[in-house]
Amino acid sequence: MHHPRLRKAKSNDLIAAFLMVSPAIVFTLAMIIFPIGYALFLSLTKWVPGSSVTQFVGLSNFRRMLGDHVFWLSFRVTMILFIACLLLETIIGIYLGILLSKDLPGQKVLQAVILIPSIIASVAIGMMWIQILDPTLGFANYLLSIGGLKPLAWLANPGTVLQSLIIIDVWQWSPFMALIITGGMRTLPSEPFEAALIDGANKWQIFRFVTLPLLRPVIMVAILLRSVDLVRFFDTVYIMTQGGPNNASMTLNVYSYLQGFNYMDMSYGSAIMLFLLLLVILISLVITKLRRRMS
Amino acid sequence: MQNKRYYVGAYVQYIILALAFLGPVLWMVSSSFKNNVDITAYPPVILFKPTLNNYLNLFRVYPFGQYILNSFIITGFSTLLGLILGVPAAYAIARFRLNSIALLSLLARMAPGVLFLIPWYIISTSLHISSNDFADYLSLILAHCVITMPLVVWLMISYFESIPIDTEESAVIDGCSRWGLFFRIALPLSLPGLAVSTVLSFIFSWNYFLFALALANNATMPLTVIAFNFIGEGSADWGGLMAASTIISLPALILTIFAQKLLIKGLTAGAIKG
Repeated sequence: MHHPRLRKAKSNDLIAAFLMVSPAIVFTLAMIIFPIGYALFLSLTKWVPGSSVTQFVGLSNFRRMLGDHVFWLSFRVTMILFIACLLLETIIGIYLGILLSKDLPGQKVLQAVILIPSIIASVAIGMMWIQILDPTLGFANYLLSIGGLKPLAWLANPGTVLQSLIIIDVWQWSPFMALIITGGMRTLPSEPFEAALIDGANKWQIFRFVTLPLLRPVIMVAILLRSVDLVRFFDTVYIMTQGGPNNASMTLNVYSYLQGFNYMDMSYGSAIMLFLLLLVILISLVITKLRRRMS
Repeated sequence: MQNKRYYVGAYVQYIILALAFLGPVLWMVSSSFKNNVDITAYPPVILFKPTLNNYLNLFRVYPFGQYILNSFIITGFSTLLGLILGVPAAYAIARFRLNSIALLSLLARMAPGVLFLIPWYIISTSLHISSNDFADYLSLILAHCVITMPLVVWLMISYFESIPIDTEESAVIDGCSRWGLFFRIALPLSLPGLAVSTVLSFIFSWNYFLFALALANNATMPLTVIAFNFIGEGSADWGGLMAASTIISLPALILTIFAQKLLIKGLTAGAIKG
């Protein structure tokens, strides 16, 4: 760094750096930070459509949340979907990821096939599954009948709607976990595996004591990325059930959307969203902490 | 013998998995070519005489070409704007270690969409944006840019970080300015990153459902919202629904065939280096 041109470049660098980041920062302030601040402001007021008068109500929107049983129900549904989907997607993702990391002919084709559910629009996902899970003419009930089982109402029954949504989400997102784990498998050193083979370890022991510990950092990142999306569960629920039947599939994100845009209660909707933002941040901090402690 | 059993076992799993993951998609596509009788038949029919009527009806009954165009306008411009804003920012963040700014884009990835949507909606209604199609397109493009820009920043930082400092320093000694470094060295060396960012931004913006649901008017509606409205009509026009969802899925299917590598790189970025 002693070359004179390098030193002169340094001061010009600061100006260039500023010019490079400032459009993105202005955009972020206007479209992301300001709205979050505005939502915070809304959550402390009683917003009336079309009225320009703002009435401060303090924390009453948050107090209402504590006494609102649909809010607690949707908190519960959000956590059930989050934990069930994350668990299943991680397990299936690890299985799929390891299977795909073996270089067999056709591996590329299978990888392309499982990629499809994760990159198709959720609206299309929702529509294809509404048809498949249709109680009277759906393919799912046809499969059940072949197996000699009774037909289910799937999305129309409060008792099975969450299981249906979990199946769809696992179908849609396990491949995402699998792709990350396949990528991770390719970066692993081969020596530990060879050493384990020499020591006479069986397949399960190799998986449990070599593969899994080596993969742990990658798995934790995959869990972190997936968690952030799962806590905000919205698209497929809104498209297929809108929280029904009888609020049985109401997630926090859907509930706040309905409060804001169906009942035009933007203030209460904002309060729920701020709670959800805190929940997302909290969960990602916990996972990041776990990640650090493990490594 | 051991080897043969291993192969058979692996391929049995391959076939079951391919059926499980592709089955629902194939069912959607095949249903879109069924007539009204075949599509409501029970037990479901696998073999049938295909018809294009579901597709033709979409264009006959609705201004479907306009919806497709709307999707392309919103997706195309939000991808472009995301790149214009995000790529230089990612370069500066990578070169000058502005990690706190990178955290800002992380916030955009974590915040639930409705949180932005409520303020945007209030502001855009008070400005009567939805009564002006041009302004409405603009608001949708900006909204989708909240998806694309942080994604571009997130993806590009690691590509710029992987360019060795020495390459740039020798160019500086040759009289290259910081902008010259950016345009003549960093950008050409990170073309793969730009390709990944473009493809992933495009598909995420194309698929994104929530913002247009609240912000689009009847003339600016993208495919995702109109398809959702079909379900709400409750007419149970299964063929039309499946044709519409097949059309929405086309970019994803095409990219899977031609840009599988880029998609996988983009989806797994941040978890795996290289």
